[in-house]
Amino acid sequence: MMTRADKVVVALAVTALPLLYNTFWGSSTQGDTVRIFMPGQPPALVSLDRDREVTVKGPLGPSTLQIKDGKVRFVSSPCRNKLCIHSGWLSRGGEFAACLPNRISIVVLAQEQRYDAINF
Amino acid sequence: MNQHPRLSGKPGRALRCTVLGIVMAAVTGCGHDQDLLHKSQLLAMGTLVDISIWTRDDGLAQRAIATVTQELNDAEHRWHAWRPSPLTEINSKIAAGQPATVDALTRDLIKKSQILASASDNLFNPTIGKLIEVWGFHTDDRPDVPPPAQDQIDALLANAPAMADLHIDGDHVTSTNRHVQLDFGGIAKGYAVDLAVDKIRKLGVRNAIVDAGGDLRAIGSHGDRPWRIGIRNPRGPGVIASLEARGDESIFTSGDYERYFIYKGKRYHHIIDPRTGYPSTGATSATVIHSDAATADAAATALIVAGPKKWRAVAKSMGLKYVMLVDSKGTVYMTPAMAKRIKFQIEPPPKVIVAQP
Repeated sequence: MMTRADKVVVALAVTALPLLYNTFWGSSTQGDTVRIFMPGQPPALVSLDRDREVTVKGPLGPSTLQIKDGKVRFVSSPCRNKLCIHSGWLSRGGEFAACLPNRISIVVLAQEQRYDAINF
Repeated sequence: MNQHPRLSGKPGRALRCTVLGIVMAAVTGCGHDQDLLHKSQLLAMGTLVDISIWTRDDGLAQRAIATVTQELNDAEHRWHAWRPSPLTEINSKIAAGQPATVDALTRDLIKKSQILASASDNLFNPTIGKLIEVWGFHTDDRPDVPPPAQDQIDALLANAPAMADLHIDGDHVTSTNRHVQLDFGGIAKGYAVDLAVDKIRKLGVRNAIVDAGGDLRAIGSHGDRPWRIGIRNPRGPGVIASLEARGDESIFTSGDYERYFIYKGKRYHHIIDPRTGYPSTGATSATVIHSDAATADAAATALIVAGPKKWRAVAKSMGLKYVMLVDSKGTVYMTPAMAKRIKFQIEPPPKVIVAQP
């Protein structure tokens, strides 16, 4: 016979399992953090859970990143072609954008990334 | 104390332990797995390079990451197409009609490029450096100037540079055509990835991905599962399809979205069709799987230039088994072998045409 404690543990475990499964093996790829690479400094980790703007200095000048609703994008950069800005919003694990002229790049990190690499 | 019979009477406890065990395994198992994955990123060869090493040996992972970094930085220095480099030195000599001295790796890269250029019917043509330069892709940050004039393009096309113009004699290379200007943009990344992977294998690495800006070679696996690779959607966010790497494979995609500029509302991308002198049209991306990264790189370049009408002929002449091409309407063309491995990740799935090379 199961005690009340048994039942509580089993109920908790059964409730938690789908959540854990989804967290560790599931296809949810929503990122939670952005890693920012910049020249001459170690990469910075910034959480995506708070809306803000982050300015990073590169050799050409400051590049600005916007974090909003769990997404991140380049909003300004002193490069000519603005490919980094055209990359648009990033929110899933593994997505990245770079301003190569200004040597700044960002990659979104998720708990368990669905892909080990993105081919493009 | 009435719990004793139940504790020893098992059903509840056994169940509880089992379930707890599964939960703990779920939590600790993954945490442990992540400890074996060593990741590093660097900027090299004009792109973001991702290195993943799967090993229990932290020291080995660090040595491997340092080795890959060194190899790719060396390759960037050796074959940079516009900053002063041993390659720009070779190009100056060719333009002056003089023999150029080449190191062993460059000699091998030239020989390999000659074979691949010939097999691709010169759709992979690394001698059109001048054309790429007039399009403004020989800068890190292109100035906002118009595309080149038609007569300028026509003049460069009339020079008809080709890999077959180059002749290697010992450590010298000569060209019968002074208009040959080497730009290994369509192969150097792959070649450098091959060099890097060979080196880390010799160090003892069995499981790794060297991903040079989305073009990668994967060896071994991610623990007890294969490496999972997503292929970027050329016209939209996220991933169009996924596949699993098997043992030792290079997966390369050429896309018209990688480098481009917009002038007066029109978009010009960086893959120049050596037949027309203009950015290639018809295909938006070409993906190739091959054992050899240099071949995969050159083949992806040749196939995006070939486009939907000619890709099969090129796949056949280059001996490619795994090819996927996406055209400007989003239709996907694949070889039968590729179709068996690709899993589409977009809804609705695209229109697919499977054809033998």
